Amino acid sequence: MSTLLDISGVSLSFGGVKAVSDFALKLNPGNLQGLIGPNGAGKTTVFNLITGVYRPDAGAIALDGRPLIGLPPHRIAQAGVARTFQNIRLFGNLSVLDNVRVACHLRAHHSITGALLRTARHLGGELAIERHAHELLDIFNLGFRADELACNLPYGDQRRLEIARALATDPKVLLLDEPAAGMNTQEKRRLAELIHFIRDSFRLTILLIDHDVGLIMGICDTITVLDHGQTIAVGPACDVQKDPKVIEAYLGEPADGAVR
Amino acid sequence: MADSPTTTARPIASIRARTLQLTPPRWVAFCRGAAPIVIGVALAVLLQFYANRWFGGYREKILIDIGINIILAVSLNIVNGYTGQFSIGHAGFMAVGAYTAGFIMYYGSFWLFGDTQFHGGILSATTDPRGLHGPGFSGGDLLFPAALIAGGLVAALFGFIVGLPSLRLRGDYLAIVTLGFGEIVRVVIETTGTVLAGDEIGGQPWYRLLNRVGGPMGFGGLPIYASSFWVWVCVAATVLAAYRIKASTMGRAFLAVRENEIAAASLGVPITRYKVRAFVIAAFFAGVAGGLFAHEIGNMLNAGELGFLKSFDIIIMVVLGGMGSISGAVVAAIVLTILPEALRSVSEFRMIAYALLLIVMMIARPQGLLGIHEMWDLPYFRRRRTGGKTA
Ligand SMILES: Nc1ncnc2c1ncn2[C@@H]1O[C@H](COP(=O)(O)OP(=O)(O)O)[C@@H](O)[C@H]1O
Ligand SMILES: [Mg+2]
Repeated sequence: MSTLLDISGVSLSFGGVKAVSDFALKLNPGNLQGLIGPNGAGKTTVFNLITGVYRPDAGAIALDGRPLIGLPPHRIAQAGVARTFQNIRLFGNLSVLDNVRVACHLRAHHSITGALLRTARHLGGELAIERHAHELLDIFNLGFRADELACNLPYGDQRRLEIARALATDPKVLLLDEPAAGMNTQEKRRLAELIHFIRDSFRLTILLIDHDVGLIMGICDTITVLDHGQTIAVGPACDVQKDPKVIEAYLGEPADGAVR
Repeated sequence: MADSPTTTARPIASIRARTLQLTPPRWVAFCRGAAPIVIGVALAVLLQFYANRWFGGYREKILIDIGINIILAVSLNIVNGYTGQFSIGHAGFMAVGAYTAGFIMYYGSFWLFGDTQFHGGILSATTDPRGLHGPGFSGGDLLFPAALIAGGLVAALFGFIVGLPSLRLRGDYLAIVTLGFGEIVRVVIETTGTVLAGDEIGGQPWYRLLNRVGGPMGFGGLPIYASSFWVWVCVAATVLAAYRIKASTMGRAFLAVRENEIAAASLGVPITRYKVRAFVIAAFFAGVAGGLFAHEIGNMLNAGELGFLKSFDIIIMVVLGGMGSISGAVVAAIVLTILPEALRSVSEFRMIAYALLLIVMMIARPQGLLGIHEMWDLPYFRRRRTGGKTA
């Protein structure tokens, strides 16, 4: 199998802070890879680098062999990378349905003259988008909330709506930034099932961030551990869990006696 | 939540595949698309023939003012409401359209018809309706819409140029650029020379005439073409366009840009292109409104009147009605055109009242009365539609 997302030697500093240094990651089609690390380790920055929010100081990022660096975020989305955000970024004043319909922008035919004249093609496209969005919402059990404003949804629904919205761009790679944040154990288990389900049924490749090991250990094939921008461990969940460097990163250096 | 997966097939069909399947027959689309246009034109015809008879000349003029303000407010709403940028130079686009259309109607009439007088017919006539049955159609009835569209297109070009800084600037900084644009337009027009009278025009090359649009004295002598018909046709076109844009994929992209730029970009919306596009579309309609304003009865086209204060008037309408709400902008345009007429005796306090209103709105309800919602989205109407059941 050929590599779908290939990240190598990527670094980025903010002023003096090395947020990510020499980061590498290979995702094969169908992978469900975890990215963990303490707060401030640089996980979100990796997502921002992949999606073109930041441009790396060094390194290469390629999707299906096509370099992504330098492309604006909307082109990267078009190439097939979708993401969710750690601090939820829904379109709060739009309805739940419209949040998803916005994301169909890329995959439907639309033109300004079509919209103004309401051509047959335009009507067909809008109807197709509407059906598509409704079906996605149904998968996420949000169908009955389609007309509500996104900002009025309960927290867990907002997180799932973000995933549904990202899926509407028909991505190859889905990047999930702490989707389980603020959820209880039961909610996390159901989220894990859902992630598995969409990976299989949409044939996705998923990179999943979590700051604690819980959710990721259960569902990810491979895990990369970041600390202070450095990759300190890569491997299957059971190995990574036992890695002394990982334990140290999470518990703090024993020599200092400081426990985080 | 979803049940455990049993299949690895894609659960839903792709949008493109479905588009073909859901595309209605052409004639159905044509009828549905054309119906509101037909209704709009029919209303305009009705007002053209009966507004004067029903309301009288003075009120017909107020109605025309209302129509022009609706076009201005609804178009500014595309920039300030849909995409959440803050333009305070909308009157600048109006001025560009007004002078372009005025130039065409004044000097163009001379070339086409031999003098600069009114050459319109039944559609452009603004006199007593009993006089309307005489002239029939005339060349001016074609020249005027052409001039309006030309004014709109030139304004749209300026909209593109002003929109470009929005790629880099936002918030207050972009507002200052639009303000500067409006003032530059005004100052440049005020440097031009006096309008040539009919007997002086002959033999002048057209580019010399560009400098002859009246300067600080105003562009006098423009023929009166802005009849109820043209104004309401343009209102219908503007409102319909704004509505169809808002209800389309493009409109949702505009709103997404306003709601959250980073998220919109991450979903494949080219935010910079949409920001510029909003300026171009809004400027086009402002230009058309300017063309109507220039040829309205009782108006003297003067760039000095299309400065910051005029922009401010339009902003108030958008802010009051709701940032993003078409129906809100329409209602606000109606109310804020009638109110100053009704309160003429205290008119010197108007700007103070507007400023206070703006401040209060910005503090109490920055999204405007309706926000981005339309009137028929309000809970009251929803409940009526669903027969008392809450969704
Ligand atoms: N835009 C930014 N400007 C300056 N520093 C930043 C910026 N974004 C992230 N950082 C810094 O980069 C480091 C990694 O941040 P982040 O990727 O958000 O961590 P994580 O997601 O792993 O918690 C932190 O030290 C953070 O302060
Ligand atoms: Mg983070």
